[in-house]
Amino acid sequence: MAKKSINEKCYVYINGRILGFVKDGLAYSKEIRTARRTGVLSGEINVSYMKKLNAVHINTDNGRIRKPYVVVEGGKSKLTADILEKLRKKEIEFSYLLRHGIVEYLDAEEEENTLVVFKESDITPETTHLEVDMTSLFGFTLNTSPFPEHNNAARHAMLSNFIKQSQGLYATNFNLRFDSRSYLLFYPQNPIVSTSVYRSAKMEKHPSGQNFIVALSTYYGYNMADAVVINKGAVDRGLGRSMFYKTYSDEERRYPGGQKDVFKVPPPTAEGYLGEHAYSKLSEDGIIEPETMVDEGDVLIGKVAPPRFLEESISASGLEEKIRDDSTTLKAGEKGVIDSVVFTESTGATKVVKVRIKSLKIPEKGDKFASRQGQKGVAAYIVPPEDMPFNEQGIVPDLLLNPHSVPNRLTFGHLLEELAGKAGAVAGKMVDGTAFAEKGSARIQQFGEELEKYGFDKFGDETLYDGLTGKRFTAKIFNGIVYYNRLYHMVSNKLQVRSRGPVQILTHQPTEGKARQGGLRFGEMERDVLVGYGASLLLKERLLDQSDKASVLICKDCGNIGYYDYIKRTVVCPICGGSSMSEVEISYAFKLLLDEIKSMHIFPSIKMKE
Amino acid sequence: MAKRNFFVIPGEPVGVIAAQSIGEPGTQMVLRSFHYAGVASSIATSGLPRLVEIVDTRKKPATPFSYVYLKGKAAKDFETAEQIVKKINEVKVNDIAKRVLENFSKGTILIRLDDQKLEANELTTKAVASKIEKLIKIEAGTSEHTVIIKTHTKSAKQIRALAVQIGKLTINGIENAGRAVIKQDKATEEFYIVTNNSNILGIMTIDGVDTGRIYTNDIFEMYRVFGVEAARNTVAKELDTVLREQGINVDQRHLFILADAMTSSGAIKNVGRRGLSGEKESIFARAAYEETVKHLINAAAFGEKDDMLGVTENVLIGKQIGLGTGTVTLAIKKEDLSKISEKKAKK
Repeated sequence: MAKKSINEKCYVYINGRILGFVKDGLAYSKEIRTARRTGVLSGEINVSYMKKLNAVHINTDNGRIRKPYVVVEGGKSKLTADILEKLRKKEIEFSYLLRHGIVEYLDAEEEENTLVVFKESDITPETTHLEVDMTSLFGFTLNTSPFPEHNNAARHAMLSNFIKQSQGLYATNFNLRFDSRSYLLFYPQNPIVSTSVYRSAKMEKHPSGQNFIVALSTYYGYNMADAVVINKGAVDRGLGRSMFYKTYSDEERRYPGGQKDVFKVPPPTAEGYLGEHAYSKLSEDGIIEPETMVDEGDVLIGKVAPPRFLEESISASGLEEKIRDDSTTLKAGEKGVIDSVVFTESTGATKVVKVRIKSLKIPEKGDKFASRQGQKGVAAYIVPPEDMPFNEQGIVPDLLLNPHSVPNRLTFGHLLEELAGKAGAVAGKMVDGTAFAEKGSARIQQFGEELEKYGFDKFGDETLYDGLTGKRFTAKIFNGIVYYNRLYHMVSNKLQVRSRGPVQILTHQPTEGKARQGGLRFGEMERDVLVGYGASLLLKERLLDQSDKASVLICKDCGNIGYYDYIKRTVVCPICGGSSMSEVEISYAFKLLLDEIKSMHIFPSIKMKE
Repeated sequence: MAKRNFFVIPGEPVGVIAAQSIGEPGTQMVLRSFHYAGVASSIATSGLPRLVEIVDTRKKPATPFSYVYLKGKAAKDFETAEQIVKKINEVKVNDIAKRVLENFSKGTILIRLDDQKLEANELTTKAVASKIEKLIKIEAGTSEHTVIIKTHTKSAKQIRALAVQIGKLTINGIENAGRAVIKQDKATEEFYIVTNNSNILGIMTIDGVDTGRIYTNDIFEMYRVFGVEAARNTVAKELDTVLREQGINVDQRHLFILADAMTSSGAIKNVGRRGLSGEKESIFARAAYEETVKHLINAAAFGEKDDMLGVTENVLIGKQIGLGTGTVTLAIKKEDLSKISEKKAKK
């Protein structure tokens, strides 16, 4: 218990520093608030009274996250119908509301002093603020998705990520940009079911998906476990088609000593010359021309650089200056067409070349798709259109989503969007799917009526026929229109295989990672599995024969590693000088370990059984 | 022949299989740790923290408890069982004292006792005083409901320390035995006692306690009282309890392997660098686990030799391991075979 004499005074802090004391903190904070609303104080000031600590915190510093609220005073919203009407007629602007204390921004601390209601009808005498809109409960990305209030919260986090990963028209000046990687959807569409946030953020100017006809149906085994089946007919007509752009760039660097890089086709004398064929696509200036088809290993920017170490240029007999090839080549597994070449100068007055390469990405098996409802899937089969299910009118779905994807995940928004999309499509209208705009049941009714008006089932179910057999499916199948995004995770940019390949210099073990054509690590737990199964030879093969097998000569006398002297045609032990050796297969990593132990003046000796 | 099917095949890596069989379900335990609300008496550490406690062989479990079974009349009679509970239940001076007053000028400590609590524990002021005298060999007098202790010192520091010490003295019951609660076995209708701390050696001195069936989850206490075999069984049983509580079904034999490995030396060893892994025969196997440099330097300093008999060291150098299909080797080489036949021919 704090002593009363201290507690009588209320501390006042400004940006966390003590300013002084006041008698009544609550009244003081209210006074500041009134001053802010009447325009005496800046609207960027936030004040909060902390009851437990009996302290007033005034914050004016930067970095606070603030959110607008409509001010409620005396049980009445200050945003009256009158003012709304004026706003609508554009007689006044939003800033008017801020200036006159009708709307104010609150930070996290001041929010603790408020009682906010969502609807005007919920206002009680205690209410201090009114939420501007129900959508402000969610973030921007989530608000671009329709019916989010019908989905499980865990899906919200997922769908927000998927929307950010979608391919679309990310910028209208894409042709002038040299992003290191960019994706451009060929025929972006606006969603039939959009939201108020989507529209007011002008997302319509750069959409990032397409309206897919989706049937909630299995297709033999092809859409099990988050796989989707896609209609090849639709793909051929441009569904999900996109272009992938990648920029390679290089610079003519200057080195201390007056040496510099030069863009040109490297001469065969250059160190690290890749062979005549690799440079065949370069023009005279050493840079590739636009519209050239390129494949992995092709040189895009030819460049020669001075040798890495100074001694090399000196020791080279003097007549011809030694140079090193430092060209930029297309990475393994990549191919495409040169889209654009830019020749410019950097801020350091060095020549810079940027080469943009484009490659067409037609949807294929392994590409990732997602709806705006947190439902992702990998295309597992691109079905010929004649084999797809169809309805009486001959409508063939673009995508088949497995119905098992819905019940566990509670993505009712997906079903609602599908129904809404279908209703909007048949009526030729855009549909609004803003969060909390209407009750779900009322919406189902509404969409159902619309569908019935055009002769469709009110629940969106239709009789479908199997494209393979022509037989009618016993069950009616729910279908409709869902806005799908093609995400930028595409197999063609990820696929990698290795049977033999590069090894690390230090350990002689295979490299790791796609960029180095590496293998997949056979780790400790995988090792344990083979040990547990007793597969001793398979284990040895994985860890030795297919990794860093080394054949070494070991001295029978001193147990040290020796070598074969090709001149004397005999084996030599450098330690004891002995010449009786046996050849042993060990892992190179172990040889390295022995070397490192020796470097510490410890002499490891290997004794061998006969 | 049927019996033979139960035998493990020679060369079967039972240890690795046991480790995987316990380890894999163990990964699921992190996510699913349930807490039972209520039932205050049985809040024991469970799930992953308890599993870690067992394999790390902590000297004292976070929540020790013991099961005390009764023999003869006590097992069937609640009243008799209650008598034993009273003998177990630990009563400290602080538990029955209303107030402890120090008089620094006179050098005395006055302990005012609570009448009701005295009665409940069947104690008198005099009994308490004599017990204190006996325990710390100090002069203790009484005047109604108060124990007066003469300290023969006027150092405030010493008096305070003494007062704290006296407060913690055990007047009645078994020290560190904890609170005892009677429970009844549903099947046999037998009464038994559960305590929330453990001192089984102390409890075993009480008449009516079945010393052969007494149990504690403190592995080291079981080891001290009953020996390694009991400790080994306790390890296995505690592991089983933890896993079973989590709904994980691991075969007993895997747990036995682990328990055997931990206790086979005659002492209890933990699983880690100060126990099983740190005391491996092979230098390379130890170096591959933890504290690589320490093991290599020590091996060099003492000129140690690695016989390359284990799995890890053979994987390291790239030799075929001596388990599974690597168990069998040729007893006689092909060349030697001809020599043998030559010898036979001579004979």
